[in-house]
Amino acid sequence: MRKSTAGLLAVVLALAGCGRGGGGTSGKAEDVSAGRIKGTVTVWAMGDEGQALGAFAKEFERANPGVEIKVTSMGMDVAHDKLVSAIAGNATPDVSMVGTTWMGELGKSGALDVTPNNLFDKSGFFPGAWDSTVYKGASYGVPWYVETRAFYYRSDLGVKPPTTWDETKQWARQVKAKGASMGVYQNYQVGSWQELLPLVWQAGGDITSGGKWTFDSPQVVTALKQWRSFYEDGTAPNKVDTGAFPNIFFKGQAAAYYSGPWMIHLMKKDGGPGFEKKFDLAPYAKGPAGNNTSLMGGGDLAVFKRTKNRDAAWRFVKWLTDPKVQVRWYQTKNDLPSTPAAWQDPAMASDKQVALFGEALKTAKAPPSTPNWEQVARVVEREMGRLALLKETPEQAAQAMQKGADQLGMGD
Amino acid sequence: MRRGRAHARRGRIGLLFSMPFLAVFAVLYAGPLLAGLGMSVTDLRSTDAQHPFSVDFVGLRHYRRLLHDEVMRKAAWNTLVFVAAGVPLTIGCGLVAAVLMHRGVDRARALFRVGYFLPHVTSIVAVAVIWRFVLDPQSGLLNEGLRAAGLPTAAWLADERTALPSLIAMAAWRGFGFDMVVFLAALQGVPRELYEAAETDGAGAWARFRYVTLPMLRPTLLFTSVYSSIGFLQFMEEPLVMTKGGPDGATESVSLAIYQQFGGGDYGYAGAASTVLFFVIVLVALLQFRVLRPRHLEAR
Amino acid sequence: MSTVTAPGRDTGAAPSVRDAPPRTRRARGERLRRTAIYAALSLGLGLVVTPFAWTLLSSFKPEHEIRQSPPTFLPAHPTLAGYREMLASLHLGTTFTNSVLVAAAQVSANLLLCSMAGYALAKLPFPGRRAVFGLVMAQMMVPGIVLVIPQFVVVTRLGLTDTLLGVVLPYLVWPLGVFLMRQFIAEIPDELLQAARIDGAGEFRIFFRIVLPLCRPALATLTLLSFLNAWNNFLWPAIVAQTQDRYTLPVALALFSNEETTHYGLLLAGAVVVITPIVVLFLCLQRFFIEGIASTGIK
Repeated sequence: MRKSTAGLLAVVLALAGCGRGGGGTSGKAEDVSAGRIKGTVTVWAMGDEGQALGAFAKEFERANPGVEIKVTSMGMDVAHDKLVSAIAGNATPDVSMVGTTWMGELGKSGALDVTPNNLFDKSGFFPGAWDSTVYKGASYGVPWYVETRAFYYRSDLGVKPPTTWDETKQWARQVKAKGASMGVYQNYQVGSWQELLPLVWQAGGDITSGGKWTFDSPQVVTALKQWRSFYEDGTAPNKVDTGAFPNIFFKGQAAAYYSGPWMIHLMKKDGGPGFEKKFDLAPYAKGPAGNNTSLMGGGDLAVFKRTKNRDAAWRFVKWLTDPKVQVRWYQTKNDLPSTPAAWQDPAMASDKQVALFGEALKTAKAPPSTPNWEQVARVVEREMGRLALLKETPEQAAQAMQKGADQLGMGD
Repeated sequence: MRRGRAHARRGRIGLLFSMPFLAVFAVLYAGPLLAGLGMSVTDLRSTDAQHPFSVDFVGLRHYRRLLHDEVMRKAAWNTLVFVAAGVPLTIGCGLVAAVLMHRGVDRARALFRVGYFLPHVTSIVAVAVIWRFVLDPQSGLLNEGLRAAGLPTAAWLADERTALPSLIAMAAWRGFGFDMVVFLAALQGVPRELYEAAETDGAGAWARFRYVTLPMLRPTLLFTSVYSSIGFLQFMEEPLVMTKGGPDGATESVSLAIYQQFGGGDYGYAGAASTVLFFVIVLVALLQFRVLRPRHLEAR
Repeated sequence: MSTVTAPGRDTGAAPSVRDAPPRTRRARGERLRRTAIYAALSLGLGLVVTPFAWTLLSSFKPEHEIRQSPPTFLPAHPTLAGYREMLASLHLGTTFTNSVLVAAAQVSANLLLCSMAGYALAKLPFPGRRAVFGLVMAQMMVPGIVLVIPQFVVVTRLGLTDTLLGVVLPYLVWPLGVFLMRQFIAEIPDELLQAARIDGAGEFRIFFRIVLPLCRPALATLTLLSFLNAWNNFLWPAIVAQTQDRYTLPVALALFSNEETTHYGLLLAGAVVVITPIVVLFLCLQRFFIEGIASTGIK
């Protein structure tokens, strides 16, 4: 019965002229005019960024009379579905904020305009951030703001933060002895791939090489070993509820975790009175390869091909990535600038904790921009979860990741 | 002859009355349903959103992959447990609450009714906060209580063995108010005379429930059990908010797995999984229709 | 339990009961039974109401107190900050109006169209009736997430993107409502309808004058459930609405929920704003649940 239905569908599809053609996305950049712009530009942005952007864009409207920027803020949970539906229904906005891990997917879809060469220069951005916009050699957007990860720790325990992998293990035992019963919190649930990638790079390896997944490489195993060792030592918790973090850090049960710059604000806001004196930040510890590469994240800005106001759309993106504007955006929203030039501003150097992220951004790397990255990430997370429960060895986990990723391919 | 014409007229009106449903179905559901079925035999991905027809036919590849997908298999098992435990629990609680309220409460009725319905309407965000507070492995209310009583504690949501039962309890707690409301409405249709007659015959409370209430509630029972089964077969919100399917897939449900495949952009595969889930739901419903078929038809 | 509630049976509670004449003994048993039921239900009430009460109380707490673990029950530092933040950033007037319009349209369409279809499926045999019921069930059973993108494509073709009509359209006839009404209407005795037909009443008249009045508890239930369905709907309105002027309450509230940087104060204040109308509606409707078929004349 199913077979005949399937057969019928095949016939229907064939009649409808289906089947993949040879041509992919062209990936050719067109210039944007430098002349006067006017008209409406619709912009979609997620979460807190979307909330603040509308008011922020007034300045651009004042500088460009006749241009109206209409910002629609969308919830984080629906943003992906909303963008894909809009592409399918031919109802895309002119500009949208796009999560860095979606760029490969949307780039491949052919819905995004290729970044115009005459307006943007890749050398003006952090290399890891620019890489997140590139799919098959063409760039489909521009980094708007960036995020990277650092080591948050309880400074009130009086143990100096670690600088190497071995010191980190040591450190976890010391803080446990000082009452932090859980040691170091490593995320082993959704999003745990973000824990793994920096470790792989710090071990001198990568998860892709020459267009293939390389989860079975020795460096990945080394990274998984380091990560698992905390669970073996009992210095990382593997029996906490998904919502228990960050409360376990506030309460001092967990003495450290790895996360991005947005946590600084949250720590100060929700940690209770005086908590800002009880924690501090340190860069990632250096791995066996001698580097402490962190993960590049954040938000990119993309223009859709079907925009009716292409010049104004790209010029607005250009304005948002102007170093001076980025400093002001940082002062508005605490989002870190994607252009190194903005970091030269005294405003960026005044906060020691923020400056630490500025340093890490120079070498931070983006996850692979394959169109199916989100799917591969789920495979990685599954094995990380099993590893945290000590259900398998690092070698087994690496093999399982490789097998799962190979099955999914590179999504091309 | 006249009878026949009246019958035909009634039939035309029946069709007319069904028209609004059929119209909405034709415009907004027929196509999308076929699309869902269709995508399951192609390699459609989110990257094809702009040109959904230029995809390749892959036959039953996704269906074969389903059979060997460990995540899906575990999710299928979990879903089975959700349904087998959750449906009777939810309906049972709803029925008990409705009967007690119907027969035993005359004062503060509104308070009780609204109260028991509240879990069903309280936002999942607030519900999650409270349940985490109850189930927290370190300082949760439940563990504190067990400790005080000298009983062994558990990590509840963080432990593979207890995570699933915890979520089932939570889902039943959230869902039974709905069933209670439907049962309450149905109980109004049970003529008091039937109870009085049964009482005169010396029937006890249990006998009255078993031989008067329950048979009269059959159509409603069918409704609630079909509805609950659909809900539990598509169980997703609780694991998504409370455990994200963990630990190690212990609370992963089929719907959650499908949701993640959609999120990952693999529409062909997600479509295949949805199709299978759909047919399982249909089978379960057919079974329930068979078991809970109205008795009075048989009696006649 | 049955020993306590069984009429006329000796409860053995006290000598005075034993000596009392049967009627009083029965009344005493009845009272005992009621007390037991009240006790049980009140205990349960605590379990079901607590999260709501916590939501309500916590909407008056500052952010860090809400996050505090273990949580406080009564606000230690009462504040209106959550409500202020909500009013400042939610365009509450617009979103609330949108939600009300969507819910009103959906509920009234459901009440009429679901009972019409339910009546047809229960009492008006026509060729293909089983197939239509099959479609109702199929629509109810299909995993909704599969439909979203194709449905959005249909809605854009109809030119209804970013309109409230587009938000409402797929839910005008709710299969669950059809099923509910069919189940209830099936219980109306055929003899009653037959008698009306013999008196010369047409099907429309029978539907509006006999069937609908008899279904009042069911209609009250449908109103509540349909309202709940419309009021809490999230994914679809979030995708159809393309400007914030078309956002409904849950869509607007979701803007603030974000893995780690959740604005709890605002969200809980929002939850109170979302739940209150449901509770009010329930209180208004609940008397219809009691006023049943028995009291409208069928024996």
